[in-house]
Amino acid sequence: MSTQADRNIEIWKIKKLVKNLHEARGNGTSMISLIMPPKSQIPQYTKMLTDEYGTASNIKSRVNRLSVLSAISSTQQRLKMYTRCPPNGLVIFCGEAMNSEGKLRKLLIDFEPFKPINTSLYLCDSKFHVEALAELMESDDRFGFIVMDGNGALFGTLSGNTREVLAKFTVDLPKKHGRGGQSALRFARLRDEKRHNYVRKVAEVAVQCFITNDKVNVNGLVLAGSADFKNILSGSDLFDLRLQQKIVQIVDVSYGGENGFNQAIELSGESLSNVKFVQEKKLLSKYFEEIAKDQGLYCYGHEDTLKALDASAIETLIVWENLELIRYTLRDGENNESIAFAMPDSSNKDYLIGKDGQELEVIDEKPFVEWLAENYTDYGATLEFVTDKSSEGSQFVRGFGGVGGLLRYKLNFEQLVDESDDEFYSD
Amino acid sequence: MSDNLAKDLENKAQIGEAKPKKKFDFSAAAKKSFTPSFGFQAPGAGNAYAYQDFSSYAQPQQGQQPAQPAQPEAPQTMTLEDFKKQKQATNLNIRTGTKKVLSLSKKDDEKPAAKEPVKEEVKEQKKPEAPKETKETKDVKEVKEVKETKETKETKEAKETKETKETKDTKAKTAEEAKVDADAVIKEQEQMDQEVVQDLFGGKELKEHMSIIFMGHVDAGKSTMGGNLLYLTGSVDKRTIDKYEKEALDAGRQGWYLSWVMDTNKEERNEGKTIEVGRAVFETEKRRYTILDAPGHKMYVPSMIGGASQADAGILVISARAGEYETGFEKGGQTREHAVLAKTQGVDRLCVAVNKLDDPTVNWSKERYDECISKVAPFLKALGYTNVLFMPVSGYTGAGLKEPVSKELAPWYDGPTLLEWLDAVPCENRKASAPFMLPVSSKTKDLGTVVEGKIESGTVRKGDQLLMMPNKRPVEVATIINEGEEEITGAMVGEQVKIKLKGIDEEDIQIGFVLTSSKNPIKAVTRFEATVAILDIKNILTAGFSCVMHVHTAVEEVQFVKLLHKLEKGTNRKSKKPPAFAKKGMKVIAELQTESAVCIEEFEKTPQLGRFTLRDQGQTIAIGKVTKIIE
Repeated sequence: MSTQADRNIEIWKIKKLVKNLHEARGNGTSMISLIMPPKSQIPQYTKMLTDEYGTASNIKSRVNRLSVLSAISSTQQRLKMYTRCPPNGLVIFCGEAMNSEGKLRKLLIDFEPFKPINTSLYLCDSKFHVEALAELMESDDRFGFIVMDGNGALFGTLSGNTREVLAKFTVDLPKKHGRGGQSALRFARLRDEKRHNYVRKVAEVAVQCFITNDKVNVNGLVLAGSADFKNILSGSDLFDLRLQQKIVQIVDVSYGGENGFNQAIELSGESLSNVKFVQEKKLLSKYFEEIAKDQGLYCYGHEDTLKALDASAIETLIVWENLELIRYTLRDGENNESIAFAMPDSSNKDYLIGKDGQELEVIDEKPFVEWLAENYTDYGATLEFVTDKSSEGSQFVRGFGGVGGLLRYKLNFEQLVDESDDEFYSD
Repeated sequence: MSDNLAKDLENKAQIGEAKPKKKFDFSAAAKKSFTPSFGFQAPGAGNAYAYQDFSSYAQPQQGQQPAQPAQPEAPQTMTLEDFKKQKQATNLNIRTGTKKVLSLSKKDDEKPAAKEPVKEEVKEQKKPEAPKETKETKDVKEVKEVKETKETKETKEAKETKETKETKDTKAKTAEEAKVDADAVIKEQEQMDQEVVQDLFGGKELKEHMSIIFMGHVDAGKSTMGGNLLYLTGSVDKRTIDKYEKEALDAGRQGWYLSWVMDTNKEERNEGKTIEVGRAVFETEKRRYTILDAPGHKMYVPSMIGGASQADAGILVISARAGEYETGFEKGGQTREHAVLAKTQGVDRLCVAVNKLDDPTVNWSKERYDECISKVAPFLKALGYTNVLFMPVSGYTGAGLKEPVSKELAPWYDGPTLLEWLDAVPCENRKASAPFMLPVSSKTKDLGTVVEGKIESGTVRKGDQLLMMPNKRPVEVATIINEGEEEITGAMVGEQVKIKLKGIDEEDIQIGFVLTSSKNPIKAVTRFEATVAILDIKNILTAGFSCVMHVHTAVEEVQFVKLLHKLEKGTNRKSKKPPAFAKKGMKVIAELQTESAVCIEEFEKTPQLGRFTLRDQGQTIAIGKVTKIIE
């Protein structure tokens, strides 16, 4: 369990890093991205870098030449620190990147990915090439979904903790006809024809969505829908055989569209139990259940969560991975340190003013999530990241501020105390 | 007669042309004639007189109304007289018609014992009205008069509201001119209501229309009962039934032939379960009915909600057969869910038909019947249904539908039959003069764009300029077709109609759109505030929760933007702080947002378009009403 949790944190860290690197821009071709697959020879790469160094010294532009050369030499130096390639391969990013204020800052990042990376890459460009890493995170099992009902069809995928809608369209199928007289048969025939065409269309779009280069691009396929369409589709000759073999489950949902998609994920949870998205849903459901039970074994909001953390009461800490809250360490005139939290773009700077009205000095600012990721072990908690992609996740973020935890024992928070009788308006 | 009709049409057309002006004239005249008489009597004489005076004044008016406004116009006198004659004739018709009903029912009931229930029923029907009036007017004679005047229910009701308003006013003894004026305006409006109705249908006598929905658990026998009802009322002929019986026998589905009347699809017939809401019409001496046959299966509840939103009265069918009743009523059974949904969709009148009493496992046993009732009754009461009637029936044999159950089988029941009950249910809350609104429940392409639905308020006539919301497309009414596939010139609130539209493509319409008057269009919004009562939810609900909303015939995905207040149990006081989350059993006020614009109205204004049901994961999680529309 702990290794799994560690891994999740690792993934989160890399995700964040990838995001930052992706945004970084530099001059000319001075940004070096170097990815070595497992079991590659370090000297081979050193030699290549030396060659590159030679080539780079012929660059005409002085500014570009100097920065490329310096980047290559830094990379070489860093590479020397490794005697052999780590088991999962090695990734190095080096270059002078422009930060948000327009200043150049030297960046040198090297790490071993959390799982084997099967890419060999050396590139000098004006940006870092992180596609391989991004792919690494998404290469979890990918599942396809076809949700079809009488109103339309939706095609989606679920992979890792991302849920994606690939295509959707609506149809107009004739409704059940009243007692028809002599044209009843004609209507019945028209109806059958339209339904048949609809199934055909769904089957065709399914091929477009789930088959690339003549291969099925998903590990499994879930068919969902109300009424009989899904069964007709699965048994139909029109449905591609390759896809037919990938069907892992057929579930009944009462609605089409997004809601049906969500329900289909929920219902096929057992078949997809190792998908992060489903795990996340499960975790949050457990959290919500705890709240519904109302035994006080939960907390939410950063204030309560910190209190609970300080009391070592938190068993599982749940954080939204994109939480923007910043943790400030402040210092007043008498060298007393204090801590405050604020959203980065909030105009309210009250936290900078101390008790005696004196302005406080910011000595450190750090995203709260990062701080948690670094320090959660000190409080004996396990950390779980969630997204706002699932319906539960969206509720967690919007309803509970994106941070909360499951407690080991009951804690009495102040906010529970001040629920006075005057809770309701008098009218 | 056809000659008359043509004249009548002509006449109507003329009235229609000159209408706006006349309306105004009439209202002015009404003011003049009303206010003085009112002013004189109210301070001195007291309630009873004022009331009597007014009601006696109002009664003949109802007959004359369509004629009155037209009178000033000289050139029309000939046709007008014609018109009047016709009117009188139809009035007579109405009277004789209703008398016939009564006498017929007496004749039909050959056994003396069966006579009583009918009478009782009629009395019961009137009782709730009578005390009200006596209280208000303290004039017993008047009540008798009211009883005797055999008019349509609706006009009676309209009058009643008028009366209450007036008596209230006199009680308060507000002799102030302004208030009286305001009152007069309201009166006028209500008169206009009738005027509108009369005008619309001219001299033609019209039976009221009513939609009823059959609901209940899977295999409770809803479709069979619906089919049998159609057969018994003569809407489906013997030949068709025989054909179905033969076909069913060939298909090895012997007992299903009656349900085949309602289940027209191949899939439905093969499986023996309804998938989409079925529709059919039948007629009694008193009314025209549209049957909505809801699917009982859990998967198809969304379809059932759409049907329930169009119904005036509901028939909850429960199966008395051993085992079936139990599964239907347990948690997860659709008996409960349907009852809840129907209530939230505005079906206030409910009757419970305990079906399959002819089954060998039950065999018309009173114990079983009572057992079924004992559990359902308190549940329905808790939901807020009042005056729920229970009756033993057999959908398959038809006992208790039209003809009462024979005394040999069920000597313990002497209530009304299903049809008797239906004929006695009052149609309420029909606002004929309100802006026109029709939520689209289905659409077809049939030499033009045809939309179908129940008129929730107002009236419509051929040639009207309307608006299709939420995409704000102006349309023109080309043809109106009533539920019996006849072309008509106008339709009013409560009817199920098909309307052929000009100026819009079929693709531009979706189910759940609302056809509305262009002057007072319905609001189309994506955000609104609502009171939400949470019935059943897996764990909790917070901001960010998304689910599916059913409002009138529309189905839309909706998300909670934020919770604003929670309401205290019992007192309904608002909390000052917004709750962090809501649990099962809680009531909250929340802001909701839909994906695309949806047509709604505030519940206070138009209840039918302001109440909604929230569903998620195939179960009903909450019900609510729109309190504020955020534009």
